[in-house]
Amino acid sequence: MPQVRIIAKNFMDMVAALPAMKLDKLYDNAFICEAVLRSLPPLAKKYVLQMLFIDLPVSAKSMEEWVLSDGFSKHKMAIDRLLQLRIFLEVVDRKKEPSYRLNQKFQGNLRKYLVSGGSLPREPMPSNVTVRLPTLEDLDAYALEQWESFLLQLINSGQTERLAGFNPSMMKVFQRGLLSARENEAPKLTENGFQFLLMDTNAQLWYIIREYISTSEGQGVDPADLISFLLELSFHAPGEAYNLNTLTDVQKSTINDLAALGLVKLQQGRKENWFIPTKLATNLSMSLSDSSSRKEEQTFSAKVVSTQPPLVST
Amino acid sequence: MALSAPSKLYSDDVSLVVVLLDANPFFWAGANAATSANQPANALSFSRFLSHVLPFLNSILLVNQLNRVVVIAAGVRSCGYVYDSGGGGDGGRATGLCALLLRRLEEFVERDRKLCKDGERAAENASSLLSGSLSLALCYIQRVFRSGTIHPQPRGSPDGPEQYVAVMNAIFSAQRSMVPLDSCVVGIQHSAFLQQASHITGGVYLKPQQLDGLFQYLSMVFATDLQSRSFLQLPKPAGVDFRASCFCHKKTIDRGYVCSVCLSIFCKPHKKCSTCGSDLKQPSADSNPKADSKRKTPDA
Repeated sequence: MPQVRIIAKNFMDMVAALPAMKLDKLYDNAFICEAVLRSLPPLAKKYVLQMLFIDLPVSAKSMEEWVLSDGFSKHKMAIDRLLQLRIFLEVVDRKKEPSYRLNQKFQGNLRKYLVSGGSLPREPMPSNVTVRLPTLEDLDAYALEQWESFLLQLINSGQTERLAGFNPSMMKVFQRGLLSARENEAPKLTENGFQFLLMDTNAQLWYIIREYISTSEGQGVDPADLISFLLELSFHAPGEAYNLNTLTDVQKSTINDLAALGLVKLQQGRKENWFIPTKLATNLSMSLSDSSSRKEEQTFSAKVVSTQPPLVST
Repeated sequence: MALSAPSKLYSDDVSLVVVLLDANPFFWAGANAATSANQPANALSFSRFLSHVLPFLNSILLVNQLNRVVVIAAGVRSCGYVYDSGGGGDGGRATGLCALLLRRLEEFVERDRKLCKDGERAAENASSLLSGSLSLALCYIQRVFRSGTIHPQPRGSPDGPEQYVAVMNAIFSAQRSMVPLDSCVVGIQHSAFLQQASHITGGVYLKPQQLDGLFQYLSMVFATDLQSRSFLQLPKPAGVDFRASCFCHKKTIDRGYVCSVCLSIFCKPHKKCSTCGSDLKQPSADSNPKADSKRKTPDA
């Protein structure tokens, strides 16, 4: 029986699909709150800012008065999104009228940001320890090279030798839906695979990361942890070195995989090892916004993928 | 005269916000003393004012990774850049915004104070350099050349009619470059300059009633990116004061004489226009004084 797997339309849908308790736990992390806020549609961002210092719930009716009549559909979309991500929580008062208030952990973290400014998730290593740091241009070139060689491996699955990077079963996961394999035939690109290659780098990256997170659960890694680590990574400064010993074991193995994609560069010092985020990593949260995911939907609208696609592209 | 900026469709919510802060020490000292006696809830010292403005600036940087904030301070004798978030390499994180901005602001006020000549005690109604700071802001925006810009100006000190020409020129160039000017006025008086500025460029003019809720006003009204503005209910001004100042004495007038070539405004009849040099027709002794004059009244 063919298995059908639904791919989340964009990364935030995946976050929103997490069970309520896990999502609330995710909001303990201030960087997650920032990244999620930045991914919201503009009107929703405004509403969050407006509600940030209000402690009592505001009725849905009075929120509707904030918008002009031709903005009502955008208003509805913003409110729905906020409810879906559990940023707005619905409160029903005695008159049975719905009103909304902000998720308190979310609210607390953002208030701190506004009052005391942002911060970095971890401190970069002192420069006297880190020698031979690549320049930003070198780092960009490295990231591009890694990413392109990964893409090459992805579509040339006929090669049997294992190139540096992912193990073969992981590659097979990525190739599902992009390549089709018939018995005794070399794999060919499907129509989806073709469109994948036409997407811009950020969209391709998110596709791969989504697959990576989906399969992690089967390997005993909590997807919420992965999601939060990835979002946190996007707040690091590109080109700076961060010590590997600040990472948990799960994060360390993730970092190795991310190095194969070109998101970070690993380097070894005399006593310590570190990772350096590249632009691919720090641009992760930027590509979460609606406009870029809308672009992705225009070029790649595979929502349901079966493991035995019948078609082969010509 | 109902010129308003054409509405533009913006494709995303990236904003460059240039904030003009009125750092006129005479105004701030007076405002705190005067209002605290009558309405304690509305007393606002400069430090408390800043405690509302700083989170507002942080909120702009929070909302989009690409947003940029620039702060220009306007003093009595000078104006200058105080903070630019795009200066660093890490794309405008608000790390250290507060400390840096406060330090630079202090340095600015010191410099401004030194520029006032020693012993000269400025009049209580000293106005700050709105025209200079507006011009600085517009030049910066031109250099950056982005179309999605907003321009809030928390301001308090009274308008100086001697700046009329410069301010109007700045307003028209803002209108040309499609930069909306928002104004947030603190203090007792309304500001005719800012009312006109916001009206002509399509921005918002607001004089908050309750100053201890200033941040909420700022975040609800002024933190809106340009794309969302077409959908939200924003405050509309009750009336705009369109009075001009005459070019010869810099007095505020509502009736005067206008040169038909360059439209310069004078309060008394002149033989020659001081701006363009054309000869002006003299009113004859028994002519109706209204024949050569143009009445400017506040529009409803």
